[in-house]
Amino acid sequence: MEDSERTNPERPDGSGGLGSAGKCLPGKPFAFNQCTSIIRSTGKKARNLKELRNLVTVVTTESIFHHTYQYFLKGHMLEYTNDFAHWAGANLEESALAEQLANIDPYAFNEIEELRTEILRVLDNYLAMCPETRKVFVGDEFYFSEAVTMICPVGVVARNIAEFLMALKYIDSGAIYYHFYEARTRLGGNTDDFSKWFEDVHNKSELAEQIRSIDPFMHNIEGIRDNLTTLIEDELRRDMEVVRL
Amino acid sequence: MIERYSGIAPMNDLILLQRLGEILKGRSFLHINSTRKGGGVAEILQRMLPLLEQLGIEARWDIIEGDARFYDTTKKMHNSLQGNFEEITDKEWKHHHEVNMESAKKLNLDADAVLIHDPQPAPLIELKKRGTWIWRCHIDVSNPQKDIFDNLSKYCKKYDAGIFSVSKFTRSLPIDEFVIPPSIDPISDKNRELTNEEIHETMDKFKIPEDRPMMLQVSRFDRFKDPIGVIETYRIVKKYNDCILVLAGSPATDDPEGEAVLNEVREYAAGDPDIYLLMLPPFSDVDINALQRAATVILQKSLKEGFGLTVSEAMWKSKPIIGGAVGGIPLQIIHGLTGFLVHSVEGAAFRTRQLFNNPEMAQRMSAQGKEHVRNNFLITRQMRDYLMVWHSMENRGQNVLTL
Repeated sequence: MEDSERTNPERPDGSGGLGSAGKCLPGKPFAFNQCTSIIRSTGKKARNLKELRNLVTVVTTESIFHHTYQYFLKGHMLEYTNDFAHWAGANLEESALAEQLANIDPYAFNEIEELRTEILRVLDNYLAMCPETRKVFVGDEFYFSEAVTMICPVGVVARNIAEFLMALKYIDSGAIYYHFYEARTRLGGNTDDFSKWFEDVHNKSELAEQIRSIDPFMHNIEGIRDNLTTLIEDELRRDMEVVRL
Repeated sequence: MIERYSGIAPMNDLILLQRLGEILKGRSFLHINSTRKGGGVAEILQRMLPLLEQLGIEARWDIIEGDARFYDTTKKMHNSLQGNFEEITDKEWKHHHEVNMESAKKLNLDADAVLIHDPQPAPLIELKKRGTWIWRCHIDVSNPQKDIFDNLSKYCKKYDAGIFSVSKFTRSLPIDEFVIPPSIDPISDKNRELTNEEIHETMDKFKIPEDRPMMLQVSRFDRFKDPIGVIETYRIVKKYNDCILVLAGSPATDDPEGEAVLNEVREYAAGDPDIYLLMLPPFSDVDINALQRAATVILQKSLKEGFGLTVSEAMWKSKPIIGGAVGGIPLQIIHGLTGFLVHSVEGAAFRTRQLFNNPEMAQRMSAQGKEHVRNNFLITRQMRDYLMVWHSMENRGQNVLTL
């Protein structure tokens, strides 16, 4: 899917995003926010692939959202890109299915229902080929959950790029998640708060494009921090090396 | 006091705690359990209450007091909820209820939020007049004896919400169920940095030699902690590596079986001068800390476990850890990364030998383990989560809250 086709998937709570917190206005400093979640159980669990498939059809959109978009908030050691893929690989030991599920890009869908349909399509195709998958051990079931998320300001404001770089190095992972991953569901268009600030406030289109091109699936949050730091340091170095006549 | 966690706990936890403290300032938060001494619940409440007060929350902690018959019943309840068969008669259930109602006469149950810990005080919900009442289950109820859980859930269903330590412990109850792991306090006597002198002092006190690698398990003397299995593990390891074993535990006033299990372990260990069995009195936190810091490898070879916070304690001290793959231990030990998960005596022995013989691997895992604990299992995160549950229950229906 082309970037231009990616739009803002409405959040399952109907808020259409995470409110105005973290909004970047031209000329404004960058105010860091953070988001933190707690897990709420739905009471539903799957012991095998068929049960997983059947429950994916009936669980809430909040639960689908949590197991896909919010995967990175949990600070997983990166191996998969959503909880369904993780369970298929680690617990069901169905590696091909895990790879297929991990390949689903949640940001490619306008609505969570479309994402649910895609997950079901992958599960149904696999079940058609391999109808008898194993049952997991007791305790290894897939537990469907939802999250309650709280957003609040970090209390750190960057007025220029150097301050931004310093803050980026020391803010906690919840803030990077909020501005890099969560922003995608809030802003749509495969963008994030960081690239938007550099583009809108500092007219750094090239840097913004480089930030947008960081693949969110290929890094954990610390990897995102490292990539951003390198890009911004390079940009600052270039700015300092310019000879002004 | 909360400032002492700066630079230790993740900053985002401290920021959110401060913000939730502002929102909940002046409101009352009551905790009730069944013992002030022994066990992880009492330990964390002792530390958490002053911190909540510092945030401006009027925090209180009370206990219900029972007789020997009450504790025998609740011990059976505990065992059966963790999967062992027990019989609890109607008379015992009635006594459990009566002890709670009698205890309640001495308690002020009026609060904005009430957190009832574990099955012992669960019947108190019948006396709810106002506020948000939450049942906090610290034990593994993933595979309970059905009739016992059915009886207990008559109370649980009346709460506004339940909190479980791990997703797999949750039950299909008709109330909101949250998943919140427990935590350790990094600045308590049990976990703070110690000087070498303090460590040597403890080792001297217990006459434990420091000339050989040391295996350690710290836990109550409880069959679910498999102390006999730890001795068997040590005996296999000893064939290859000369080492000593220390089994250290504290009594809890709500665990009548502790003495009997200790006697069984004593008998099994008899005649081996390299096995040290320590029954530590309450408030032996510095000694436990010192033993953990002196250990070469720490085990938590549980067969059943609520959460197994001794695992996080060991990891916080940058010690290599081996744990049974039960309860909350797999949340703390990411196999091969922050420690080793095992399923048998033989597995525990093999991993102990690996760690004894590969100090670089042990060091790498220990460093990753400490970071894992910092990010997930410190008291500041647990306090944050409790306040988040309270606040979210007062804003039911909203999955995203901007503070």
